[in-house]
Amino acid sequence: MENLVQEAIQNVNLHAVMPSLILSVAGMALLLVAVFSPRGKTAHIAWLSIASLIVAGIVTIMGWNDTQYGFAGSVQLDNFAAFFSMICIIAAGLAILMSDEYLKRENFPVGEYYPLILITTAGAMWMVSGTDLITIFLGLEVLSVSLYILAGFFRDQVRCNEAGLKYFFLGAFSTGFLLYGMALLYGVSGTTKVYDIAAYIQANPDTTTNVMFVAGGLLMLTGFFFKIAAAPFHMWTPDVYQGAPTPITAFMSAGPKAAAFAALIRVTFICLEGMQDHLTTVFWVLAVLTMTVGNLIALNQKDLKRMLAYSSIAHAGYAMVGLVAWNEIGSAGILFYMLVYTFMNMGAFAILILIGRSGEENLTLDGVTGLGYKKPMLGIAFSIFLFALMGLPPTAGFTGKFYIFAGAINSGYIWLAVLGVLNSAVSLYYYLRIMIFMYFKEPQEDYAWVKIYPATAVSIVISVIGVLYLGIVPGSIMQLARMAGF
Amino acid sequence: MAIDFPLLSLLLFMPLAGALVCLVLGMGNSTAPRWVALLTAAGVFVVSLLLCLLQTPTAGWLFYEDYRWIEQFGVRYTLGLDGLSSVLILLTAFLQLLAVLVSWRQERAPGVFFALLLVLEMAAIGVLLALDLILFYLFWELMLIPMFFLIGVWGYQRRFQAAVKFFLYTLIGSLCLLLAVISLYLLHGDQTGTYTFALEALKQTELSTTQELIFFFCFMAAFVVKVPLFPFHSWLPDAHAEGPAAGSVDLAGLLLKTGVYGMIRFAFPLFPVAAQKTLPVLAGLALVGLFYAAWVAYQQVDIKRIVAFSSISHMGFVILGLAAWNQTAWEGSLLLMVNHAITTAGLFVVVAMIEQRTGSRSLDQLGGLWKSHPNMSAFFLLFCMASLGLPGLANFAGEILILIGVFTVKPLWAVIAVGGILFSATYTLRLVQGTLWGNNCEPHDKQDLHSREWLVLIPLAVLVVALGCYPQPVLDLLREPLSALLLVGGMP
Amino acid sequence: MITVTHYLMLSAILFAIGTLGVLTRKNAIVVFMCIEVMLNAVNLTFIALSRHVGNLDGQIFVFFVMTVAAAEAAVGLALLIAFYRNKETLDVDDFNMLKW
Repeated sequence: MENLVQEAIQNVNLHAVMPSLILSVAGMALLLVAVFSPRGKTAHIAWLSIASLIVAGIVTIMGWNDTQYGFAGSVQLDNFAAFFSMICIIAAGLAILMSDEYLKRENFPVGEYYPLILITTAGAMWMVSGTDLITIFLGLEVLSVSLYILAGFFRDQVRCNEAGLKYFFLGAFSTGFLLYGMALLYGVSGTTKVYDIAAYIQANPDTTTNVMFVAGGLLMLTGFFFKIAAAPFHMWTPDVYQGAPTPITAFMSAGPKAAAFAALIRVTFICLEGMQDHLTTVFWVLAVLTMTVGNLIALNQKDLKRMLAYSSIAHAGYAMVGLVAWNEIGSAGILFYMLVYTFMNMGAFAILILIGRSGEENLTLDGVTGLGYKKPMLGIAFSIFLFALMGLPPTAGFTGKFYIFAGAINSGYIWLAVLGVLNSAVSLYYYLRIMIFMYFKEPQEDYAWVKIYPATAVSIVISVIGVLYLGIVPGSIMQLARMAGF
Repeated sequence: MAIDFPLLSLLLFMPLAGALVCLVLGMGNSTAPRWVALLTAAGVFVVSLLLCLLQTPTAGWLFYEDYRWIEQFGVRYTLGLDGLSSVLILLTAFLQLLAVLVSWRQERAPGVFFALLLVLEMAAIGVLLALDLILFYLFWELMLIPMFFLIGVWGYQRRFQAAVKFFLYTLIGSLCLLLAVISLYLLHGDQTGTYTFALEALKQTELSTTQELIFFFCFMAAFVVKVPLFPFHSWLPDAHAEGPAAGSVDLAGLLLKTGVYGMIRFAFPLFPVAAQKTLPVLAGLALVGLFYAAWVAYQQVDIKRIVAFSSISHMGFVILGLAAWNQTAWEGSLLLMVNHAITTAGLFVVVAMIEQRTGSRSLDQLGGLWKSHPNMSAFFLLFCMASLGLPGLANFAGEILILIGVFTVKPLWAVIAVGGILFSATYTLRLVQGTLWGNNCEPHDKQDLHSREWLVLIPLAVLVVALGCYPQPVLDLLREPLSALLLVGGMP
Repeated sequence: MITVTHYLMLSAILFAIGTLGVLTRKNAIVVFMCIEVMLNAVNLTFIALSRHVGNLDGQIFVFFVMTVAAAEAAVGLALLIAFYRNKETLDVDDFNMLKW
């Protein structure tokens, strides 16, 4: 018994979970701080959260190229995990920056908000570094449960309640599928460790035709597809994105989605390698379906948050093209694309925060009429993000798409790339429509309520720099993505 | 010859710097941006003039710059200048200078307006210099954004539709280009092991005929839309009619040129076999376009639309020259392109002046301007005569060279094309007759040309006459580069 | 003789019942209970398979699933209460502020 305990302790290796550990501890400590802070005083919690994110970020970066294994092979903090962790940290940092003034405007300045973001990020980091189905599941749930709360955070607003509930129901529902798939995989291979499952399949190649194994793999993938909002499992996305507090929407579309992609890549590329031939077909179809559905429905949207929600579905479709390629370039492409997407999408949402009035009823196409004249800097920043989302050079949207589609062509999926490019052409229409309202129509209002909140402005500036930097000199970051690729 | 000083980068980034200054100064809605824009445009013009004067007519690169950029993909920052690009850059710089002067009285957000003009200039120069396909694509796309806003924000009533139409047409074309570029790059990488976007390296890629044809069509999709060749032209009349005067000058002078430049610099040398095979199709479309556009121009009432369609008709002529695939015709095509840019710019400028004075662009309401505004009308007449190809004026030199060149290979095409010239005379004369003579309209502004307008029109008029009588300097610059490009393609 | 297959079939049936319930029932609480049925079907699978393959990993997994389900229940019910306070209904068809 004593030996077992000692062995377990030796296996722990806290270095492997250090970044997420920092965030969890900081999150719990800040929850306490929040309890003892008077209502309405939340700025200090926001800044402490950002400080802890910075510390976690530094620890993550220091661990680059120094793979740490922990908890008897349940956790593996490698470059892949570190890169995705950084995406989540950046997303969380930007979300916190744009939150404080927003919460005050929406008249709900409650301190628990920030610790929840930290804990979500910690969950995302377990998810990206997990090599055991249990770890991945736990990370996913820590992330999801905190996000359910955040999505329904404004408990006085019915819209927000509804978003939280819908997210909760569909999240829990998809968790059921994920777990059932994991259970079946466990039944076939007798282990929950990702690499052991792969080894089992290597030793018994006929497993890949085993009904239980195939069913388990597909059920698990279904669970992940819900999380990354791939069509036809995307129905929750528009409602939740529209109803949730805007910073949370921005965060959800970047950080947690990237984490889900990371876990999906790790599980499929290692465990389900035997099913590659069939799975690439599945991914091919889903990628095309996802981007087409997202783009086509977005064409018809008037509400900007909802339009960006559909656009985020379409962008998940572009990222899935990297899954089809099923190689190092493909996964490096996803890494790079998710980073790019974090900057461009969160930047766009930050603009929406500034434009919105309390209650955000005015975030429609008509609501930005002539904005470019009354608030020129906001207009320019918004245009940069929209051009990036379209995928035009010299923004990061172009380099990101380029990376993804080049990977697909390189693996011989020319048609996939063609369909992707056609989809980008369709997407131009609705992004352009925003710009047409912003610039081509005479302003109806003076936008006097638009105040440039300093912290939100900082997040916009960071996003603009990110979008332009990754668009003009993407070399070094691409190199890192390549090193992190699976 | 490579000199250490990055002259080409200077040329490229000067407009960008000017644009940023305009944007900052424009915050106060002052008159400063237009002076900055004028100085920048003048600076670019001087540098490009120097570049033209400095060089001796040879085939190689006169200036060349090459730096690392995105190493993972073998993307490099490669610029090169030869006689061909220097002529077109000089043209760009000259017209841009005029575009700034034309829009001198811009009241609405002048800072942004002039910044966009300068960004457009930078993008056009970039397209003419880039020798790396990704760099080229980047500038190609960058041309789109400022033009989109220039039409959409500063245009007339139906500007949204015109801007969106312009944007979608050209962008879908260039997405095809992008796909082809990536595929070509990967094919080349698979064959040689070195992944690069350098034009010279990619020319060595071995392609089957089918592959070549596919790639060629994708490249041409982007270029023919920009030219625009019939039947891909329908965005141009709208863009011209709804865009501001400076926008029209830039469209005719900068954007249209880049399409032809793309063909002879990229599409033809990269895929010579495919190009040879499709020459008859190209010539056919060019001839149909020549007549179709002339016919439609004859039906128009809006004088700006007449000029726009005449522009399509002339570009059909240019493409016909390219399709003849010999030295004389190509020189003629390039020369016609330069001349057409100058005459059309002149026409658009005068049309804008007419509209300013009469408040109308409709042939039904115009007339008798010769009496009320003799000086302006004289310039209009001069540009119209040049446009219909009167010997001794600019367009004639190009057209005759094209006809000679085409006649040596396909006499029938030349005969048909001559018919096109006659046709162009009819609508141009109708234009002249309808505006300058006939019923007197009541212009609310009686003033003839004022000093700034003289400043714009005189250089254009001088060039129209000079290039008509003595096009030799331009041809000297073009000769060697064109024959080198022709050699790569081989004779048909 | 009751084999692992029987357990698996039972849990598959339970899972299917849960799934159908989520898709068809109108009351949010019932939908929530159906999700719990799905999770418990998974737990049953894990335990049966753990016995079958002869190690404890599956049973450990079940502990985590139960913990997580409890946390989800807490959050989910809290969200339901907040919604009920504002709208005084728990019918899924009344989740219609946002286009479903």
